[in-house]
Amino acid sequence: MNVASNAVLAENVTKVFGKGNLAVPALRGVDFRVDRGEFVILAGPSGSGKTTLLSLLGCVLKPTSGTVKLFDEVISGKAESELPRLRAELIGFIFQGHNLFASLTALENVVVQLELRGCRRAEATREARDLLENVGLADKVEAKPGELSGGQRQRVAIARALAGAPPLLLADEPTSALDAQSGLMVTEVLRALAKERGHTVVVVTHDNRIFHLADRIVHIEDGLIRE
Amino acid sequence: MSTMKTTRWRAMATIAIRMMMHDKLKMIGILVGVVFAVLLTNQNAGTFLGLLAKNTMILDNSGADLWILPPGTMQLQPGKTIPDATLMQARVTPGVAWADPILFGGATVSLPGGGSEQVSLIGTRGPLFHGGPWNVVAGSKEALSRPDTMIFEDSEREKLGGLNLGSVREVNGHKIVVGGFTWGLLPFGPSYAFASFDLARELLHTDADRINFVLVRLAPGADAHRVRDDLRARVPDAKVMTSGEFRSCLINFVLTRTPIGTTMGAAALFGLLVGFIIVALTMFSAVVDNIREFGTLKAIGATTFDLAKILLVQSVIYAAFGSLIGLTVVSQVASAIRSPKMGMVLPPWLFGVTSLLMVVLCIVASSLSLIRLRKLEPAMVFR
Repeated sequence: MNVASNAVLAENVTKVFGKGNLAVPALRGVDFRVDRGEFVILAGPSGSGKTTLLSLLGCVLKPTSGTVKLFDEVISGKAESELPRLRAELIGFIFQGHNLFASLTALENVVVQLELRGCRRAEATREARDLLENVGLADKVEAKPGELSGGQRQRVAIARALAGAPPLLLADEPTSALDAQSGLMVTEVLRALAKERGHTVVVVTHDNRIFHLADRIVHIEDGLIRE
Repeated sequence: MSTMKTTRWRAMATIAIRMMMHDKLKMIGILVGVVFAVLLTNQNAGTFLGLLAKNTMILDNSGADLWILPPGTMQLQPGKTIPDATLMQARVTPGVAWADPILFGGATVSLPGGGSEQVSLIGTRGPLFHGGPWNVVAGSKEALSRPDTMIFEDSEREKLGGLNLGSVREVNGHKIVVGGFTWGLLPFGPSYAFASFDLARELLHTDADRINFVLVRLAPGADAHRVRDDLRARVPDAKVMTSGEFRSCLINFVLTRTPIGTTMGAAALFGLLVGFIIVALTMFSAVVDNIREFGTLKAIGATTFDLAKILLVQSVIYAAFGSLIGLTVVSQVASAIRSPKMGMVLPPWLFGVTSLLMVVLCIVASSLSLIRLRKLEPAMVFR
């Protein structure tokens, strides 16, 4: 991995959805930077463009203009066929609705991510068990998502995102479906593990109960950064 | 690199199987589609092969490698004759182990209570009686060596006025004794009945120097095509074919000159089509139900090809289990309905072809889902 000070760098990034009269600008010239190992919260009201920015950083969306770099590698101009590899190697995702595979156990949910990152089954199973233990779910490895509470599911999602140690973690409203206590606990677990392992973290949220956990809070409004 | 590929295949296979098991109702729905397709195709194919077998049963049971027939013969039916000198020519041809004549014609059996029934009379020469009878279930074929004795089809006993061993009937105005019964010798037309060559000549009023067919068996090591060509040169006024050629000719006749092939083929195609629609729609519905999970897979690093692996694994499993269930059911049905009049023929190769066809059907049916997955944007997971 390139030793770069910037984990994430977005320069003059715009994103417009739709065309012609129906065009809706979601981002209007955003400059955004996150240093390696930083825990940054991206905050803003609904429709401000924070999830769009997260999608661009996560290589699941392409900007209309501007440049996005992850660890000094320009990803905004990459071909569609290269993006799955980049996502698997560089990024761990934590989704609003946890997005676990309902038919798989907690352990298998984490193992799948590791296998997509090239880990063999035995090695993946060992690492997945360790990760689930780290998020406090050692006794729930064989449970399916439907058998877990909201907080437990989100902790499985954190374990999955951490699997294979991707350098960048992107979390989209990780506490929105949780009560205050669970939300805080989940974010604390995420921060502690990320700091311990040196992950860079960008969390999109409008939950001000977790703002105090961030190294830096970046506000976004009407598609523009207001730091 | 290959380890990486294996790992990914394994991961996708696990997801594929778990997804199937997770939604049991859809799994059953898809299996029903495959089973339905297997049942309809095999029922029609089996029945068609059964009808073909009826048309080729003499050929299959004659033990002949070559056939000498009247010119223009397209199928086994009473009709033209050839000179019996043909038989002598065949017997002196190098590479021929034996050659025997067959007489073949329609005969009328007078019933005790009045009226009559038709049979297809086959006259064969003893003591070996090449050309039949076979499947003798009562009496024996050697009974044909006795004077004025014939063998009839067991399932036609009632129709022929309650025949038993030793019964006396009038056939073409000539009294004969029943010497045995065969099972399942019912072609498209009237059932086969057997008489010795000389009795058949008398009953059919065939000229003394005429015969219908000659069966030829090759000597060990003789080349069928070379002997056939030699025979063609020796008997230019007759048609000489290998058993394989004659079989193709008989099958071709059924396919091109009767509506059987078209009817059965259309029914089998209909079964495939209905099965395809059920499988395609149910698989598509299952993909739509799990679209968020597929989107998540794309977001966390899976490619469209990885998602295709999930569909491929599911397709093969559905095809394998659907074929297994369907073929078991169709075999049971075939056993249950087996009768001399109606027999489904289900050779092992048909089971192999069906299983392969079901794999193709399921893969093609899943391509509808793949189109949806190909267009799936991973960004949908953030919506």
